[in-house]
Amino acid sequence: MVSVIRLTLSRSTSPQVLRVAGAALIVLVAVMAAAPVVRGRVVQHPLDVAAFLLLVVAVGVFWSLPGDFTRRMKRNPLSIAGFSIIVLFVMVAALAPVLAAPPATSRDPYLIPHAGFLPDPQPPRPGHPLGTTGYQYDLYYGVVWGTRTAFRVATVVVVISVAAGLLLGSLSGFYGGRLDEVIMRITDIFLAFPSLVLAVVITAVLGKGLDKVMLSIAIVGWPVYARLLRGEILSVKQRDYVEAARAAGAGDLRIILQHVVPNTIYPFLVYAAFDTGVIVLVAAALSFLGLGAEVGYADWGQLINMSRSWILGVPGDPFIYWYTVVFPGLVIFLFVLGWNLLGDAFRDILDPRLRGSA
Amino acid sequence: MATYIARRLLLLPLVAFGVTLLIFALLQFLTPAERAALFVTDPRQLSSIPAIIRKYGLDQPIHVQYWVWLKQLLHGDLGWSQTARMPTSQALATFFPATLELTFYMFIPIIIIGVWLGTRAAVHKDQIVDHFSRIFAISLRGLPSFVWGLIVLMVFYGGLNWFPPGRLSLEADLFVKSPEFHRFTRIMTVDALLNGQPWIFVDALRHIAGPAMTLVLVEMALLVRVTRSSMLEVLRQDYVRTARAKGLAEPVVINRHARKNALIPVVTLSSLLFVGLLGGVVLAETIFNYPGIGKWGAEAAVQLDIPGVTGFGMFIALITVFGNLAADILYATIDPRIRLQ
Amino acid sequence: MSFKRRLLMLLVFTLAVALTGVNGVAQGQAVKNPDTLIIQSFGDPESLDPSWAYDTASSGTFLWNVYETLIFFVGGRTDLYEPMLATGVPSVANGGISADGKTYTFKIRPGVKFHDGNVMTPEDVRYSLMRFMLVDRDGGPSWILLAAILGFDTQSTRDDNGKLLPDIWDRVNQAIQVKGDTVVITLKDPYAPFLNIMASWSMVVSKKFVVKNGGWDGAKTIVAKYNNPEKPDAQELFDKGAGTGPFKLDSWDRGTGNITLSRFTDYWRAPAKLSRIVIQKVEEFGPRRLALQNGDADIIDVSRADQPAVTGISGVRIVDDLAQLVNSPSLFMNLNISAEGNPDVGSGKLDGNGVPPNFFSDIHVRRAFAYLFDRQAFIDQALRGKGRLANGPIPYGMLGYNPRGKWYEVSKDKAVAEFKEAWGGQVWNNGFKFSVLYNSGNVARQTGSQMLKEATESLNPKFKIDTRGVTWSSYLGLMNQKKLPMFFIGWAADYADPDNFTVPFMHSTGTYPGRQSYKNPEADRLIEQAGKETDAKKREALYFRVQEIAYQDVPTIYIVYPTAFVAMRAWVKGWYHNPIFFQPWNYAYRLSKGQ
Repeated sequence: MVSVIRLTLSRSTSPQVLRVAGAALIVLVAVMAAAPVVRGRVVQHPLDVAAFLLLVVAVGVFWSLPGDFTRRMKRNPLSIAGFSIIVLFVMVAALAPVLAAPPATSRDPYLIPHAGFLPDPQPPRPGHPLGTTGYQYDLYYGVVWGTRTAFRVATVVVVISVAAGLLLGSLSGFYGGRLDEVIMRITDIFLAFPSLVLAVVITAVLGKGLDKVMLSIAIVGWPVYARLLRGEILSVKQRDYVEAARAAGAGDLRIILQHVVPNTIYPFLVYAAFDTGVIVLVAAALSFLGLGAEVGYADWGQLINMSRSWILGVPGDPFIYWYTVVFPGLVIFLFVLGWNLLGDAFRDILDPRLRGSA
Repeated sequence: MATYIARRLLLLPLVAFGVTLLIFALLQFLTPAERAALFVTDPRQLSSIPAIIRKYGLDQPIHVQYWVWLKQLLHGDLGWSQTARMPTSQALATFFPATLELTFYMFIPIIIIGVWLGTRAAVHKDQIVDHFSRIFAISLRGLPSFVWGLIVLMVFYGGLNWFPPGRLSLEADLFVKSPEFHRFTRIMTVDALLNGQPWIFVDALRHIAGPAMTLVLVEMALLVRVTRSSMLEVLRQDYVRTARAKGLAEPVVINRHARKNALIPVVTLSSLLFVGLLGGVVLAETIFNYPGIGKWGAEAAVQLDIPGVTGFGMFIALITVFGNLAADILYATIDPRIRLQ
Repeated sequence: MSFKRRLLMLLVFTLAVALTGVNGVAQGQAVKNPDTLIIQSFGDPESLDPSWAYDTASSGTFLWNVYETLIFFVGGRTDLYEPMLATGVPSVANGGISADGKTYTFKIRPGVKFHDGNVMTPEDVRYSLMRFMLVDRDGGPSWILLAAILGFDTQSTRDDNGKLLPDIWDRVNQAIQVKGDTVVITLKDPYAPFLNIMASWSMVVSKKFVVKNGGWDGAKTIVAKYNNPEKPDAQELFDKGAGTGPFKLDSWDRGTGNITLSRFTDYWRAPAKLSRIVIQKVEEFGPRRLALQNGDADIIDVSRADQPAVTGISGVRIVDDLAQLVNSPSLFMNLNISAEGNPDVGSGKLDGNGVPPNFFSDIHVRRAFAYLFDRQAFIDQALRGKGRLANGPIPYGMLGYNPRGKWYEVSKDKAVAEFKEAWGGQVWNNGFKFSVLYNSGNVARQTGSQMLKEATESLNPKFKIDTRGVTWSSYLGLMNQKKLPMFFIGWAADYADPDNFTVPFMHSTGTYPGRQSYKNPEADRLIEQAGKETDAKKREALYFRVQEIAYQDVPTIYIVYPTAFVAMRAWVKGWYHNPIFFQPWNYAYRLSKGQ
């Protein structure tokens, strides 16, 4: 908190926008903290709030860094938009227990609370600001905690895919030969199968549940990363600095980790950013086919899938259940939009071939 | 080039069998009883589960089961698909033409709109047009396709009654089943014309329009992005700068010089897109009750219809390998700088 | 620019009209497709061969439309019969049933034509019954006639190793005889539900048609070849057929899932009013509903949850509160859970993190859950209040249903008291953890699982229940391995008789007790005795005692006898309901379309 204030007051914080935003944030936090309900929640979840504050500071510091990266980022309004959207989502995720407090009896905060099991959705009303979807799951709670789920799914999938891709891709690219042949044929097999259908088979075999969804999306996702890295390594391998390192007697592992990977990582970043948006959509598609997270688990894919019976409304009033579609749809849409814009921004900034074109 | 093609074709059996082996391996996570339960539909049939395990050898080790399946395959038998209610090979022959047709009719607008928007975005980089077209494309991609599908269905079937779901309307379906109608290709629009029945052609198109429109909305984003970045790269090339320096009018520079070269990766992508669409049609086909291969494949996967899903996987794998090969060859033909090796 | 703007406005206008105008074909408008009944259903048949098919989509398609039975149900009654392919309903009074209740004589109607042009003979009837019994595919319906005719012990034509019983053809051949213009069926034991079974399961097929298409000719020597066929299409009647019904099977297009039936002009009664029936497979509810709204479909499948979406469409009629021969869902407790590699019993011990395999063998545990589960709340919320509280295996309105039969009231205090008594107090002190499973996609069962979880966990913080949805086949597989600690499932009648409910729910060899390790010799004896008893009053008394045992032992918590509804265009005329019908279009003979 202190650093936010300092950052806001400090003269060196360059863009006016940031200062205004910082001030607004402080006022907002102050107002919210004044309300006794919020204060209670903040006290109950100190770690989450701490994470949130740390995040605010981190974003502030990042944004005011004088580097080339941020300078280029700030020049493009779409990049700023993408960045802001994602930061906003991260903040919501961090503050989830404060924004939507889990009921005291709940064993798992990710389970959306519900009053009764009436099949028909109910419109927004006090206590349920965004209304309740079918079977009375609270949309506001689901949207807020779903943010955490979205990040968790995306992070786990990307980390597994990247790890597998890094390992196999660098082995393949660096050593070539028979190993390369074997690994590449395995990726051929995975890539030849329509990913959604393969993911469906995996979840159908393993059973329902978010962990299975994450695993199946990662299993269908890693080959792309492996291919990407291999391609980059092949082109980097011949470069002078790698040759130099080798001549200096560096070991394979060291060359891979110190020279090859850092120089090839940027398409990874770009692809991962795009992929993060897609993963949420794939999870939603799995939900549509009946294989998503457990029912009642805070997951956007499930919420939007629940809306499927209500999109068409009732006879004579097609929009009666608008809130069941609009709110989960909006968050998924913004999430995908944010990552896509960010991916575009990363690429424009990091791709040396595009440098100077802007 | 010839050796390259030959080498890629050698890949075919490897990929095909890899895919089937993958599915067989996955199924080992299920107990024999669970796999046997795939053959029953009702608890009153539970007592026959031991008999089913015995009948299909479901408690055999995986390599034995795979070997049995392979032997079957050698006789041209892909097994009985429970979800399709017909042999798997027949199911492929029935469902694939429908999807091929659907893919074709949505492919054209995707290319046209995608390239147009992508070019405009690149030419006007960082201007309103660029922002607008990118956000437009991403926005459409940002919602699950079944949401779009239901909205299209509500407007164009529920409201306007232009684009009904299914494959054919009742009258057309009855006529197609009558002996007067010959099924030459199983591709409905083509067969309709070959039979000299334009009304069936129109009817088939009306049923394709809904799912096609949904997928055009959703799949366009990728093409916009690729065209844009490819175009951006080309615009910085020396020859474009030279053309500009010569004082050529901007439209001429864009259309004559830049776009032609920028389209190279687009063309490559297109053949991949075509293959990708085969897997991407699942949700749209389900929403619109369009009897295509995607809907069947997903259903077979959800219900773990083993022969169905292995046959489906193998078939799509072959198509993918051919599609990639076509893309490579196309790439090499258009761009003389590329050598296949 | 102005052109573009105009185009945009036009588009917006069209969309606005489209969205507000979704009201469909109003009443009073011309009937669409006046001679054709169009049905949109979410499932499709597995096979159209009566000896293979054992699913509602199949039977709903061909039974009484393509194939007919010897006798039929009067109106909406399930216990009163009228002649159909027989000329009379056998009874002891008219000599059709022998005094010992074992021999049934059916006089076969003369001059009835099959769809293939042949005239039906008593031999066709005999052949059809024998074929139904001897095809006996794994998981097929053949057991219904086998057990009814050859005795309770004969549930299959094969032994435990899958070998065809050498004397099975002789026994079937012996039991079903042609005498002049009659078919005489001799049962091993008297069996009360037999006429009822005949009304649903005596479908007559044309022997000549089957033989012409390469099917079994009735000979003993080659019966093994036709027994237990590997694939459904190995059977000659898989997608074609010749019955005697008012409609003949034109085509089954498995690519689109459409089945076309057309009017049979040589029908033995007046020909049907409809010239055609088209049954379309549409899995998604959205398009089904819009088709009903636009008048493109006349009858559609709708789940209870989706009911509001079809209520109030002008020109659409909803008939609700239809009685069904269904007891579903019920909550089963497994008295001896297979704990090996079973994540659903936690630690496998009563240490607060699991349950021992015999957790539910303590009657207090079972009674506690029976007191705990709020059945009326379940009916009100999951079933929109449509259903009657259950008190045992036999559905409301059927012989043997006891209107005064006792059941547990909802009481948290009593549930707590029972839990405190269970396992010498260990349950209450240590707590437990296990999973309730349901098949994913079944919203009612899922809701039930969650209600149970929430009610249980509110009693004691040490009580933990996880709910877990699995695919239908995993669900059945795990059930068969006795791995499910507690599960929701139900039963719909094969035939309208209490025997078909007490055996699967309460007899130790029945479908469910076998999977929950429940055995009460007294119940077994009563059920077997009631099956052989032909006096209705005495049977009822026996079934009342079975209900009492179900209440005392409570291996299963009976919840509800649900009612059904059907959504159709108001222009569909002549529709009526019988609880035995598998589908609303099961008997389309009387249907027509008109204002």
